[in-house]
This record gives sequence, structure tokens and C-alpha cells, in this order.
Amino acid sequence: MITTEVTVDELAVLMKKAAGITVDPQELKQAAGSPFDCFGLDSLGLLGIVGELENRYGLSLPPDSERCKSPREFLDLVNSTLKAGA
Amino acid sequence: MSTQRTQRPRRAAITGIGVIAPNGQRPDAYWKSVSEGIGVLDRITREGCGHLPLRVAGEVRSFDATALIEDRFLVQTDRFSHFAMAAAALALDDAGLGSGDPAEPFSIGVVTAAGSGGGEFGQRELQKLWGQGPRFVGPYQSIAWFYAASTGQISIRSGFKGPCGVVASDEAGGLDSLAHAAGAIRRGTDTMVVGAAEAPLAPYSMVCQLGYPELSTVEDPDLAYRPFTSKACGFVPAEGGALLVVEDGNRARERGVPVRATLAGHAATFTGASRWEESREGLARAIRGALDEAGAAPEDIDVVFADAMGVPEADRAEALAIADALGAHGRRVPVTAPKTGFGRAHCAAPVLDTVAAVLAMEHGQVPPTPNVFDICHDLDLVMSRARPAELRTALVLSRGLMGSNAALVVRRGESAR
Amino acid sequence: MTRRVAVTGIGVVAPGGTGATAFWDLLSAGRTATRGITLFDPSGLRSRIAAECDFDPFDHGLDPDLCQHADRYIQFAVVAAGEAVRDSGLDPGGDDGWRTAVSLGSAVGGTTRLEHDYVQVSEHGSRWDVDHRAADSKLHLAFQPSTLAAVVAERFGARGPVQTVSTGCTSGLDAVGYGFHTIAEGRADVCIAGASDSPISPITMACFDAIKATSPNNDDPEHASRPFDAHRDGFVMGEGAAVLVLEEYEHARARGAQIHCEIGGYATFGNAYHMTGLTTEGLEMARAIDSTLDQARLDPTLIDYVNAHGSGTRQNDRHETAAVKRSLGAHAYDTPMSSIKSMVGHSLGAIGAIEVVACVLALKHQAVPPTANYETPDPECDLDYVPRTARPRKLRNVLSVGSGFGGFQSAVLLTGPGGRNR
Repeated sequence: MITTEVTVDELAVLMKKAAGITVDPQELKQAAGSPFDCFGLDSLGLLGIVGELENRYGLSLPPDSERCKSPREFLDLVNSTLKAGA
Repeated sequence: MSTQRTQRPRRAAITGIGVIAPNGQRPDAYWKSVSEGIGVLDRITREGCGHLPLRVAGEVRSFDATALIEDRFLVQTDRFSHFAMAAAALALDDAGLGSGDPAEPFSIGVVTAAGSGGGEFGQRELQKLWGQGPRFVGPYQSIAWFYAASTGQISIRSGFKGPCGVVASDEAGGLDSLAHAAGAIRRGTDTMVVGAAEAPLAPYSMVCQLGYPELSTVEDPDLAYRPFTSKACGFVPAEGGALLVVEDGNRARERGVPVRATLAGHAATFTGASRWEESREGLARAIRGALDEAGAAPEDIDVVFADAMGVPEADRAEALAIADALGAHGRRVPVTAPKTGFGRAHCAAPVLDTVAAVLAMEHGQVPPTPNVFDICHDLDLVMSRARPAELRTALVLSRGLMGSNAALVVRRGESAR
Repeated sequence: MTRRVAVTGIGVVAPGGTGATAFWDLLSAGRTATRGITLFDPSGLRSRIAAECDFDPFDHGLDPDLCQHADRYIQFAVVAAGEAVRDSGLDPGGDDGWRTAVSLGSAVGGTTRLEHDYVQVSEHGSRWDVDHRAADSKLHLAFQPSTLAAVVAERFGARGPVQTVSTGCTSGLDAVGYGFHTIAEGRADVCIAGASDSPISPITMACFDAIKATSPNNDDPEHASRPFDAHRDGFVMGEGAAVLVLEEYEHARARGAQIHCEIGGYATFGNAYHMTGLTTEGLEMARAIDSTLDQARLDPTLIDYVNAHGSGTRQNDRHETAAVKRSLGAHAYDTPMSSIKSMVGHSLGAIGAIEVVACVLALKHQAVPPTANYETPDPECDLDYVPRTARPRKLRNVLSVGSGFGGFQSAVLLTGPGGRNR
């Protein structure tokens, strides 16, 4: 099975789809350590993204995933889970 | 909040109007259609509705929610809240309260009436649940479908922390929401954003309405909704609505904004679902109660915006109730029902009528009742074209499918009393 | 015009017992009515537990039509209203039905029934263009939220202002509050006020799953609802109804009615913060509490008990603790504050009214109901939560508070005999 990874670009798309947040992927990349609040993403929006990813990959993300404070922290957790799952 | 600023009693003054209606998405566009008696009832075009036996409604077409509401609110709300948020924004702009966070957040509250909830959003999530499984239900279902969604979102979007309320009701609830706002102002809140917007034209919501015996299923838009005529065959539903900014008259004077009208009196009664004959007494009592609260005599009423259910017994009861409550004046006073041109938007219907009443008083014209040409009741129903008249006081009537009757007295400008 | 408002009747349908006596027995014993869901097959859900009512409409003398066709939440409301009206000794439609109002709350109304029929018309969620021929002819009664107040008004002959209130999880408090205003301001002399919900259904359970608001403690449902406990992990869904007969004070006195207590004040505010999120400060709930105290001209130190919203979510219990401390100051530490949701779950719109009835009973029995399952203190929740067993206490003024989706924060103040009111 191919190792899958969620990229910053994909996260930007998910933020738009699940939370109606428009964010430039370049900006997201550069400020990946900033809190989600800075991009206008709230707890429900992050839960929506977690749900999308869980359904897409058919696995459960750890409970900590919806408590991640920043895009970097979130992507690290998601991708390490996907890797372990693969 | 409850400090007495001036000597005048606290009174609910309308200072802002926002409309998203099938016949106009701004108060001026709405008034143009209403005053010219333009009918916009048409075949329902919403996706997945074409096969249903309810064919005609008042649809809000080419509504661009994205032009008025941020995406992050749009993804988490149903169409009924889109209408409500857009109308609230228009009303706040009109009242000169549209920009920035409020200086005193606790002094502005929100109350809406809702009779159909977030049906389209709810159907989409039900489809995910039953078609794909519980994990596919999104995080916004819990806040989009319920009746309180619009009040909550308007409060959050604008930073209003005052009293927040929701009347989940049949049509008359639209007037009840205005009474709630007036009550909050009397009790000390400066400003209320109030009204109703509905979006009942989603497939499953429409299926849910088919059981109403009062629903018109006539397929010709010009013939489907003709209250007070011998051809009355029920009512035609609509979507959309109106929100108002209502504030303490003293406050409006301090801010230097014009008072467009005053909510002077309201009363409501209950006589049971579809028992239209009994609504005669209930509606008459509501009218008397509203006049009483307004300190108005029957002769003071210059125009009546009728409920106009479109069911023969209900129309008869309404005509008789007007006569019972207003006496001889009831046969002389001009009566109108502009909603025959665009449908009954459930709780929003009487709020749209209230807006029409305010605009009618401002323009000195009683708007006509579209599609109605020949009535069989003893009423001076204004038909065909608007009638010029000096209008100082209007009476708005509403009855609900579950049996509520409500009446509202609205005065032009700031009430002298 | 401001008139005094008395509570002259109460009725309740709650998990663990129908009727005020059974309800108080449950609360005073600290028994929990939470269990694995039996109303439908909850497989596939994250939270599969709830506090269900063992309720058979045929046991309560309802008309066959109501038993067979009315939604469960309507049946709850009619039964609770019947008990309240009997308790009050009134014939609400008798003397002057035009002076009798109804104000009933519900957060989700007929959604359980709506979902049931949706499954038929959509062929299990397979089509958007649903088939109306598979729908029940009375489906509009589930779609129309004011069915709740209308059915109760019909049954008891109320012809005054009849309203259904739907402010999410504060619906019950707000419905009582609207009833209070209706009488205080002279629009009616009697008001049948309360709330009902039967939200234990796949869609409602799934929507709270989606935001992880409900407890996933499926292995130990009896101990799953743990308000204020350090190990709390979400609320447990409930269902039920409670109704009060509110009456203008002199009206009640003139007919020699028993007066359980008075409504001393009511207020509601929005937090304008988030549809589901709560601040850590609790400013808006504190404002609601302050306003009710103002209305009754009551010093905060005279509050004897706070009936908490206490849903058992991490943020709620912290928020509420902060709000009560903000309003009552140092007196908060001397004031017992408990959550009956530990025993009867969180019945969304209904619970506010159920909690007001719990307060009426607390005043009557001069005892504070406990917070069941409270074992491990949370440093962020440092008040007296009345762990596990009811506590006798002199009660005169009690507060019931609630928070709801939409950001709504409400408070109702009850004053018993000897309580200071105006």
C-alpha cells in the first residue's frame, strides 16, 4: 500500500470545504506553527476536517487530533497516524 | 441598561428594515412589487421538488448568499438562516448600526420566529446518516437544523449579547416575535433585531407540509391563491422573510435616526388547528387586545393587512372578525393582502406584512391584493391597483395553521401617545 | 404593570419515574437513570447510552388518537401538563380560557418522527427527491413545532397566548421565563409553562457524536454522566418533560390555591461568542443571574442553592463554575450547586423545565438534590457540588441556570415561603 500523506495544500482545501475558511496554501505553509485561530478555524471546523479525513482514509484519528493547536501539529499527528496505519 | 434616559416611556420604534422576499430582496424592491401588485408565484424549481403534488410557491430566486454572508457562516447554516442573516444585515445597515462591534453588546438582543427550521440542511445530513452511516454526519447538523439557528448566528455574527429568543411557531408567531421585542425594550433593552425568515421549499420539508388541509395544490400560479373569493382554494407557501431593527424611541432620538414606525399594540389568542369558524372570536379578541394596548379606537385604524388564509371558512371568519372588532368601521376600512402576490412564508408572512404596512404608511398608499378580483365578503378589499390614502395606523392580522390568532397595531413614525 | 407570579402546580415525566413523587425519589436517592439505548439500535454510534423514560402512553389515560399518532415528546408534555393542572386544582379552560396561556419549549420538536418517516420516503437515504406517497398523512404535525403548545392548549382549554419556544438547550428555562413575563405583564392570569423533548434518535445522537459532546462511556452507563468530576467526558442524552402551572399571585390566593413558590425573576442573554463554544469567564451567564437577582431585589448572599446546567462536558462545567463565582462572589463557596443531569441525563430543550421542577421540589422538601457520580474534584471546578447524596438544607431562594447552543445563557429565580421577594 502506498504511504499516504496529507499535505498543506490539501489541508487548505479541507479548511475551505469543512469550515468555509479561505487560506493561501503558501501562507499556511509559512505560518504552519501559528494557532488555528489565526486562520479563523474554530473547534467545529477542525472536527469537520477530522471527520473528512477519517472517512476518506477509513480509520480513526486519535482524540488528540481535534485538540491540535496549529496546522503543523495537526499534520504531524495525522500523517504519523496514516503512516502507522499503512 | 434599565436607566431612564428621558421622560418618555420606552416604546418599540422601527428604525431599520431588511427584506429577502420572493418579490424583492431589498425594501425598495419589495415595495415596488407590492405597490404595483406584481405577482411572482411560480412553479417550484428547487432541486428534487418537481415531482411533488405541491407545484406553486413563492421562491426567492437568484439570492446570492455569498455576497452578504461570509463563507464560514454559510457552511454551517441552512438557507433559512442565510435569509435571516442577510435580512438582519440589511436592517442593521438601514438603522445605521451596520458597522463594527456594538459599544454596549448587552443592550442589543435578537428574537426570531421559526416554523420550519433548517430543513434542507437537515435532509442532506439525514441522507448522509442513512445512506452512508453516522460517521458521515457533519459537525454542523447540531447547529443548523434547529429552530434557534438564526437567532444564535445573528447574535454571534454581530456581537449582540442582549436577550435572545426564538418563537417556534405557526404563522402568528411572526407577530409574537415582534411582541417579544417590544417587551424586551419595555423591560430595558435598548435595541432588538427581530423578525422571521423561512426556507420550507426543500423536498422533504415540502413532503411534510402536504398534510395541511389548507395548502393549495392548484397548478396555475395565477389561480392558486385567491383568498376572499368564491374560488379560494387554500394558501400558497413561500420562502424568505424580513428582519427589523426595533429600538427604544428615546434611543433612536438620541442617535438622530428617523423612527419609521412604532409597534403600538399586540395580542394573541388560540382557537385550535383548522377550526376556522372559531378563529372569528379569537381573532376579534386579538384585535381588541391589540387596540387596547395601543390605546387606539377602531376608527383610528386606517388600513388592515389581512391574514388571508384562502380557505373559504377562514376567510369568512376573518371578514367577520374585522367587523366584530372594528364595528361599522370594519366595512369602510381598506383591507389588503399583498401576500397573494408572493405567498405565505410561514412565520415570516406577518413580518413581511408588517414591513408592507410600514412602507404603505410612508408612501401613503394601500397596496393591492394581486390575483384577487371579485370577493364574496363584506370587506373593502383593495384590488388591482394601489389606493392613495393618508395612513397613520395599520392593523396586521395573522393566524396560524395550528390555531393561533394574532393582531398587531403599527403607527407611522413615532407614536404620539 | 408587574404582577407577582406563583407556581401552583407541577408535573414531570423523567427518566427513572413519571410524576413528581417518583422523580423526587430518584433525585433524593441519588439514583441514576442512564443506561444503554433501547429505543433504537445504536450500533455504529460513538455514544450509545442515554437516560430513557419507561413510558407507555396507554398508562396515562391519553386519548387513543394521542397514544397512536402523537409524537413521544407531545405525549410526555400532555402527561406532565395533566399532572401539573391536577396539582394546581385549576380548571384552566373553565373560568376564562382566554386568560390562560401556554408557553412550552422544545429544542428539536418532532425530529424523531421526522427522521422515522424520512427513512421511508427516501428509501433509506438513497434519494434526494423523496417519495411523498410513503409519508404519513399527519407528518405536518411533526414538522410544525407549535404542535406542542397547540395540543396542550387544546387539551386544557387554554385560549390565551399560546407559544412554543425553541432556544436549544435553554428552551425549558426560557419557556418558563416567557410564561413569567406573560403573567407579570398582564397578558394572562394562568400559564401552562414547561418543556418537552424526545431526542433519543439516530440523527440527534449522530449529530452530537460528530462534535464529540456526548459521553462515549458505553461500558458503564450508570456512571457516565459525571458533571463537575475531573473525569467527566461529555453529556448523556436524556428525554422527558416538565410542566408548571404559573398563576398570578392574587388569582391563586383568591381561590385558596397551594402556592409552591414564586418566580422571582428570569433573564436570558447571548454570549455572541460561538454556537457551541463557551468562554472560560462566564460573563453572560453571570449577567443573567445578576439580572434575576436585580428583578427580585435580592442580595446574592441570599441564594441558598444553584441548580446547575452541569452537563458534564469539560467546557460547560468550567464555564458555569466561573459564572456562579462571578455573580455570587465569596458566597458561591458556601452555596451548594448540583446537577441533576448526573441522574436524568440532558434532555436538551426539556431539561430546563425539569430542573425548575426539581427546584420547586427542593424548596418543598427543603433538601438539595445531589450530583451523582461526583468523585474526583477538578481544580477548575472548586465549588460545593453536593456529591452523591441529597442534603437537607434551609432553602428560600434558589436559582436554576442553563446554557444552550446558539450561545444562550438563561437563569430563573424561585423564591419559596420566607424568601425575600421585592
